[in-house]
Parts: sequence; structure tokens; C-alpha cells
Amino acid sequence: MILGFAALAITGLVAVRAFQAARDHQRWLVHTYQVSGAITRSGELLERAENTRRGYMLTRSPVARATYDRTVSEVADALGRVGRLTVDNPRQKRTLSEVRTRVAAVLAEEAATNALADAGRQDQAVALFRRQAAALPFVPLRNALSHLNAEEVRLLGERAAQVQAAVRRLTIASTGVAALVVLLALLSLAIVLRYANDLTRKDAALRDLNDTLEDQVAERTAELARANDEIQRFAYIVSHDLRSPLVNVMGFTAEVEAAARSLAEMVDRAEQHAPDIVTKEARLAAREDLPEAVGFIRTSTQKMDRLINAILQLSRQGRRVLTPEPLDVAALADGVVRSMQQNIDGAGTEVIVQRPLPDMTGDRVSMEQLLSNLVENAVKYLQPGRPGRIVVSGHEARGRVHLAVEDNGRGIAPADHQRIFDLFRRSGAQDRPGEGIGLAHVRALVYRLGGTVDVRSELGQGATFLLNLPKSLDIA
Amino acid sequence: MTNHQSVGIVMIEDDEGHARLIEKNIRRAGISNDIRHFTDGTRALQYLFDDAQGPAQNGPALVLLDLNLPDMSGTDILTRIKAESSPLKRTPVVVLTTTDDAREIQRCYDLGCNVYITKPVNYENFADAIRQLGLFLSVIQVPEVEA
Repeated sequence: MILGFAALAITGLVAVRAFQAARDHQRWLVHTYQVSGAITRSGELLERAENTRRGYMLTRSPVARATYDRTVSEVADALGRVGRLTVDNPRQKRTLSEVRTRVAAVLAEEAATNALADAGRQDQAVALFRRQAAALPFVPLRNALSHLNAEEVRLLGERAAQVQAAVRRLTIASTGVAALVVLLALLSLAIVLRYANDLTRKDAALRDLNDTLEDQVAERTAELARANDEIQRFAYIVSHDLRSPLVNVMGFTAEVEAAARSLAEMVDRAEQHAPDIVTKEARLAAREDLPEAVGFIRTSTQKMDRLINAILQLSRQGRRVLTPEPLDVAALADGVVRSMQQNIDGAGTEVIVQRPLPDMTGDRVSMEQLLSNLVENAVKYLQPGRPGRIVVSGHEARGRVHLAVEDNGRGIAPADHQRIFDLFRRSGAQDRPGEGIGLAHVRALVYRLGGTVDVRSELGQGATFLLNLPKSLDIA
Repeated sequence: MTNHQSVGIVMIEDDEGHARLIEKNIRRAGISNDIRHFTDGTRALQYLFDDAQGPAQNGPALVLLDLNLPDMSGTDILTRIKAESSPLKRTPVVVLTTTDDAREIQRCYDLGCNVYITKPVNYENFADAIRQLGLFLSVIQVPEVEA
């Protein structure tokens, strides 16, 4: 492209030069005619001077004498003019000086006969003239003058050739320019077309990708929902069936405990009444081993019960029927904050629901649970010594609602970012009550709603939980 | 208290351990009524409706029903007992199960269950609930007197 424009510029310059050459030629043409005219004029004047000399020689008329003198001065003028016009041409200069020499010679001859005629010696003048005329002095003069003229004509021819060359160059250049312009236009057109094609193709590819991406997302979401459903069912059955034996363990532990108590009483009584029948082992078993064993069984079963309950609760959430309804998310978030106001105030925290929050069509209970879990966590895991500040914000983009719950709390180490969403998994110092259920619940719920949940956090730097949910809940 | 003996307790519970714990606690509450224990639904239904000693043929009863049975769901038995044409529709049924699922509880009450007791892992609560059954047994006297 750049090369093309450079060529165009060069061709333009050539064209300009060609035009200049043509204009110069015009000037030279005029000049040649001027020179030619001056030469012809000089020749004429010389002829006239000769004629008037002859007339004066024969008639001795004063008029003829005066005319001769005037003509001679005009000859000088005319030759001067020729000299001025051809001052740049050394060849013409040489020829002109020859002409001048010859003119001077002729004029000298003429002056000699005029002088004789002036003196009244007409016969001598005529005799002298005859001698002079026999030498044909005008022939070389005329030749010289015609040389001068021929040289000018030759120069004109040369210049004409130059002009022709220039015009030819101009023609070529113009043709070149035209061709280049056409070529550049074609080139530009081709480039534009190629870009346009490229764009169209890329646009189509992008659209395709977008379409398949949506399909892929839908497919993936459906898969997730299916997997989620399966896990929920599984969890329900497992927790249900796990609970049954646990009831037995717990119940019979209580029985053992009661039995152990009566045994211990018996050991006490035996010690009082018949100390010799109480062995050391029996005492130890009744007072320490049995109560200790029962205690451990009890705490373990209680813990197991909490875990099973958690699974059951999770599975129950997963089985709850979702009812999409238009939601004012900001008002919903306010409600969530209000419901835990006591906790929030107790922790010396401020919770800001940043408006505007996008509206959406979703399941109210699920949304409340999501926000309440996230805000609750934020309130729960503050950085000691730093007043809590929790911000709920959101925006909408391409049919999705993005909500963020940001806190300035103790943060989560990046290594734990995935773990915290797993059931019964917790992160950081285990100094707060909890079973590691909340975020598992959040994730299960979000999946069920066709969304995703993510966390951004550094240890000690606060955490931001990001929810990406469909603007409009679609229950398949 | 004299009539207590005549109210038989029918316990339909597939888990032997649970059955034993329930029985123990009933006895501890001072209830000495006869307890018939069934571990599956089929035999329990047969006893309830067809057996000569069963409550349909012979006197009032209290049914303790577990919802998780190997051959059928406890709610099927509940439906049968509480059906409009059933001779046992006034028989009190106490549902005892591990589920505290609100929907399932609601469903049981809709079907006519009189009391729903969750078998909690917290054993003391469970034992207390079982012992409350004594109150029930005294309420059952009324239809028996009418009969």
C-alpha cells in the first residue's frame, strides 16, 4: 500500500516535470521565432542598405543617403537584438561574430563607395562598386545569416524532440498514474473486502461459538442439576438409613449407662459391706471405664447425628419445590440483614446493601437462604480487632445476575477456596461453632438454581463471595 | 387402671433394637399392657384385621407404627387402618420414625395418625415421649366402654 502511494507520488512528480518541460518548450518556440525574426530583419535591412547605397551612388540623392545611414543603424540594432537573444549559445555567438565581421566588411565597402559619391567622384565610386560586386560579398553573409537561422531551427527541432519526449513521458506517467490509481483502488478494494470477509467470518465464528457456548452451558447446567439431584436422593436415603442404627447405638448406650450406674451403686454398697469381694478391676470398670466409654460413645453419636441431620437438611433443601417469582433483591437483602440484626449489632459490624441491586425472577426462599448464609458467614468470621464492614452489591449482565457479598474479615487461604464448599469442610482456626454445612448448602442451592458461586480472598484480607445466577429462574 | 390390660399394643417396627428400646421404655413408664411386635407390614396387617386375637375382632388397641418397613411403607398401613370402611379407623396410631421431615409428618397427620414421634438420637427425649403413651392408653378407655 505504502509502496503504491509512493509510486503514485513519484508519477505525479514526473507529470509535473513533463508539464514544466512543455511550458519551457513553448517559451523556446517563441524565442526561436524571435531570433529567426531578428535574423530575417537583419538580412532585410542589409539588403535595403545595399539598395539605398546603389541608389545613392547613381542618383546622389540626399534622401537616399539619409535612408542608408538610418538603415545601417537599424542593422546594428537588429544584429544587437540577435546577439542578445543568442547570448546563451556559444555556437550562435561564433556564427554571429562571423556575420558581424562580414557585415562590417560589407558596410566598409559601402562606406568607401559612399565616400567617393559624397565627394562627387561618381565614376570612381561605380568602378569601385563593380570591383566589389565581382567578389560577391553578400553570398557568404547571406550564408552566415542562414546558418544562424538554420541553427535556431535545428535547436527548435531538438527542443521539439525534447518536448515530444517529455510529452511521451507525461503520457507514460499519466498512464502509469491512472494504472496505479486503478491498481491502488483495486488493492484497497481487495483489502477492504478481505477485512470485511474476515470480519463476517469471525463474526459468524463468534456467533457459532456463542451459540454452542450457550448450549454447552445449558448442557453443563443440566448435568450439574442431574448430578445434584442424584446426590440429594442419595443423601436422603443414606441419612435416613444411617439414623436408624444410630438410634439403637444411642438408646442402648443410655441403657448401658443406666446399667453402669446401678453397677457402680452396687460396687459402692459392696465396698461398704463386704470390701473383700470388690476387686480392683470391678471398681475401675464401674467407676471409670464404663462411664468413660459411654461418654465417648455419646459424644461421637451426637456428632454423627448432627452430621446426618446436616446431610438430611441439605437433601431436603434439594427436594424443595422451587417457585419462581419476581424478586426485589435489594428489599430481600434488607430483609435478610434485618433478620440477623441482633447478631450483626452484637459483632459490632455494619452491613451495607448497596443499591441498585438488579431485580430478578427467582425462588424467594432460596435467595434468602443464599444471602443469609453468606452474610452470616461474613459476620461470623471477622478479623479480630477490625470493625466488620460487609457490603452486598450486584449488577446485571447478559441475562445473568451477579451478586457479591464482600467482607473485611479474616479471609480464606487460596488453598481452601474449593474445600470450603465441600460438606463438613471448614477453613482457618476452628474457633467458631459450626459443622461446615453453610457453604455446601450455598453451592448445592446455587447449582440447583442454574448458577455458580465463587470466592475471592486472601488470608487476613477479607473475602468476597460471588454469585452468578440466571436473571430468570427456569424450572425444567 | 383396671381396663388397661384389655388394650393391646401392636408395635410394627422392623428394627429389633428400636423395638426393644420402645418396649423397655413403655414398661418403665409402668404400662404393663400386652405388646405384640411385628417386624414386617404383611404379618402386622394380617394380625390387625384378620387374627381372632387381633384388634379388629377382639377389643381396642394402640398401634405403634414405624414408617420404614421392609415390605411396605408405614403410610400404607396407616391408610388401611384409617380408611373410612376400616373397623380400626378409631384405633389410635402413633407413628414412630426417624424422619423429622415436615412434609412426611404432615402427610401422616392427613392420613389420620394421632401422634407422631420422631425417634431422636437424644435418647432421653425419646424415652419421655414413649412414656407419655400411658396418657394415651387411658384415653382409649372411652371407645372400649362404649363397645
